[in-house]
Amino acid sequence: MMEKDKLRKADMFSGGIICLFGLWIISQALKMPMKDSWGGVQNVWYVSPALFPLFVGAMIMLLGALLIKIAIKDVGLKAIGNVFGWLASKELNRFLKSPSNIRFYAITILFFSFVYLYIARIDFFLCSVLFLMVFISMFYFYDDDLLKKMLFFYLVGIAVFIGYFSVGLPALLEPTLPFASDWLTLAFIIAYCTYTWTLIRSAPALRKKYRTSLILAVTTPFLIGPIFKYLLLVPMPTEGLIVAVMDAIWYWEF
Amino acid sequence: MMIFDRIWSFFQIMFHLASDPLNMAILFGSVILGIIFGAMPGLTSTLGVALLTALTYGMDTSLAMICLLAIYVGGTYGGSYSSILINIPGTAAAAATALDGYPLACKGEGGRAIGLTTTASAIGTAISIIFVVSISPLISYFALQFTSFEFFLLAFFGILISGTLTSPDLVIKGWIAGFLGLFLACVGRDLLQFYPRFTFGIPELEGGVEVVPVLIGAFGIPQIIQVLKDRFQIGEAQKLQRIMPEIGTVIRNIPAIIRSALIGVGIGAVPGIGEDIAGWVSYGTAKNTSKHPETFGKGEIQGVLASETANNACVGGAQIPLLNLGIPGSPPAAMLLGALMLHGVTPGPMITFEHPTFISEVAAILLLASIAMWVSGMLLAKQVVKVLRIPTQIFMPIIGVLCIIGSYSLGLSIFNLYLMLPVGIVAYFLTEMGYPIAPLVIGVILGPMADENLRRALMVSQGSFMPVFTRPVSLILFLIIVWTIISQFRFYRRFKTKLMDLILRRKSCETVFDEDTVDK
Repeated sequence: MMEKDKLRKADMFSGGIICLFGLWIISQALKMPMKDSWGGVQNVWYVSPALFPLFVGAMIMLLGALLIKIAIKDVGLKAIGNVFGWLASKELNRFLKSPSNIRFYAITILFFSFVYLYIARIDFFLCSVLFLMVFISMFYFYDDDLLKKMLFFYLVGIAVFIGYFSVGLPALLEPTLPFASDWLTLAFIIAYCTYTWTLIRSAPALRKKYRTSLILAVTTPFLIGPIFKYLLLVPMPTEGLIVAVMDAIWYWEF
Repeated sequence: MMIFDRIWSFFQIMFHLASDPLNMAILFGSVILGIIFGAMPGLTSTLGVALLTALTYGMDTSLAMICLLAIYVGGTYGGSYSSILINIPGTAAAAATALDGYPLACKGEGGRAIGLTTTASAIGTAISIIFVVSISPLISYFALQFTSFEFFLLAFFGILISGTLTSPDLVIKGWIAGFLGLFLACVGRDLLQFYPRFTFGIPELEGGVEVVPVLIGAFGIPQIIQVLKDRFQIGEAQKLQRIMPEIGTVIRNIPAIIRSALIGVGIGAVPGIGEDIAGWVSYGTAKNTSKHPETFGKGEIQGVLASETANNACVGGAQIPLLNLGIPGSPPAAMLLGALMLHGVTPGPMITFEHPTFISEVAAILLLASIAMWVSGMLLAKQVVKVLRIPTQIFMPIIGVLCIIGSYSLGLSIFNLYLMLPVGIVAYFLTEMGYPIAPLVIGVILGPMADENLRRALMVSQGSFMPVFTRPVSLILFLIIVWTIISQFRFYRRFKTKLMDLILRRKSCETVFDEDTVDK
């Protein structure tokens, strides 16, 4: 959590956003049937589906306004000017590029790429190995310069995958090369591991951490995944190359 | 007679559960997992319950409850390890424990402190079970008299009180978080007319926002971001010596343990307030009632016992509103509510009719879990402490994968993940700006109850709010809500101070007058 003074300044803005959000809820709720007929039922205001959203929207708006009032009372209107001044200054740029914010970008990029790009298109085990390898190595090495380099490499990989999927290459390649997307992911994992190795090979302490990252990244999905897939009978989000191999082993053996 | 029947049935259920080796294996496994989750700074019992819910999906209800309640009990207790040994609370519930636990560990009494907290935590849970078994029928009986207005007011009160007491900054922020949760609960087709609200034509939203992905996102993602972004590092753990508690110390502190357990049960029974508040209130009470308050904060064993007994007693207390009213008493209980619904058990006043032995079963599981916790704590404490050496940078990404697979597996829907992640990111920003997350989650859970009951109540009264003032329970709830709101404003505090001054002045005048009369 931020310091109190900064919190109050942030409250002016969060209060404003919350106030607008409440207004938006009310505007959407007003489009719902209040006294008209819906599904053969003649509405009255107290049974209307708009009643509760209107109440919630009004309360959110009111509380947002109260928050702004408290914030202004605490730090004064002048603080808004200071915040706008800060937003226009080079300080903002410095803040956005601060190490902790870069770490934040790295975490969010990793999660967003895993959820929105990979999980619905690539074998769960492969995309989990990629996610864990990148995630653990970025943070376990404890070096912000290394993190930046690895993040940049990973971003290039994301760009390649976005291009690959948006052009529609998986459908084109699938007849000639089964599990084409999975092979590409495997290639990316190997490329990432090789790149990371070249970055840390001169540091013995990091080499040990690299090995730990690699072992954990590979073993964890193979510990978690089979529990869900074979014991709880939960199909994986995407079943591709690795799941096909595991299925062959599992059903051959059992 | 009825009470004896219930106690007899409680012990029968307990022995029946304990006689199955699978139940016991799951119980001990979950308790140990809970202790590890609680001990690891950055992981909480709520997250543990949330992640395990996905694994219990295929189990029968009884086994699932053993699993979830055991991790809840173990997780709440496990927080004391890191509080005592490294001065970093493993969970918010153990924050007060660190104040005296770490100084004790520095004096070389870490093992003693852990041994005593383990025993006190087990006693705390056991005392709370007495209340779960004895009070539940009474609450159920009263709840059966509730009409829609009462249920609406109760849900509203739950959100308000949770917002009031859990907010780390302004109370208003807790309320905003609660209303944001209520908004999320509005998404989907409404329960009375099936009108699509805030669905934007997305078919996956028609059924509403799934509770479990929201819970996992709201509790898991911010935790991962905070720990990794701020480069959180675990310090060197203090060494553990003898863990077996001295019986004499426990007996000497029995009154304090009972008092702390009662505080824990009471706070747990209030909707939406967690173990952390119970720990702090109990610690504060112990300090205020102590003959030597100056020793608190310097390694006072009573301080450690107070907070740990209360936070574990809160587990049982939180089951009382959860089982009888369908209102979770704490964030992990909110998660339990989601899990119960997945298993086809709808908590509320009807639970004693639909599942007559369910409350006794929960109480029996809690007692078994507290025994398992004590045994595991005594035998495995030295091993569990080793997990504190694992760097957070390693286990947080693994937790990330668990959050993702857990959210997905509950509905086998990738859309759950598309929902979980934005909720998690928004929850992170809200946390950073001092908004509590518990009221948001309570809002998502209680939203449908509040919405449906408000409209149903108004339908019965033809749009009149008069029953709120004519029905005694409604009126009491309404007055409590009004008091909860206005007590937060400055004008109320000013008015209260003036009133108190006036009363005190009158009293002193009367005393002076009396003295004058006596003199004459």
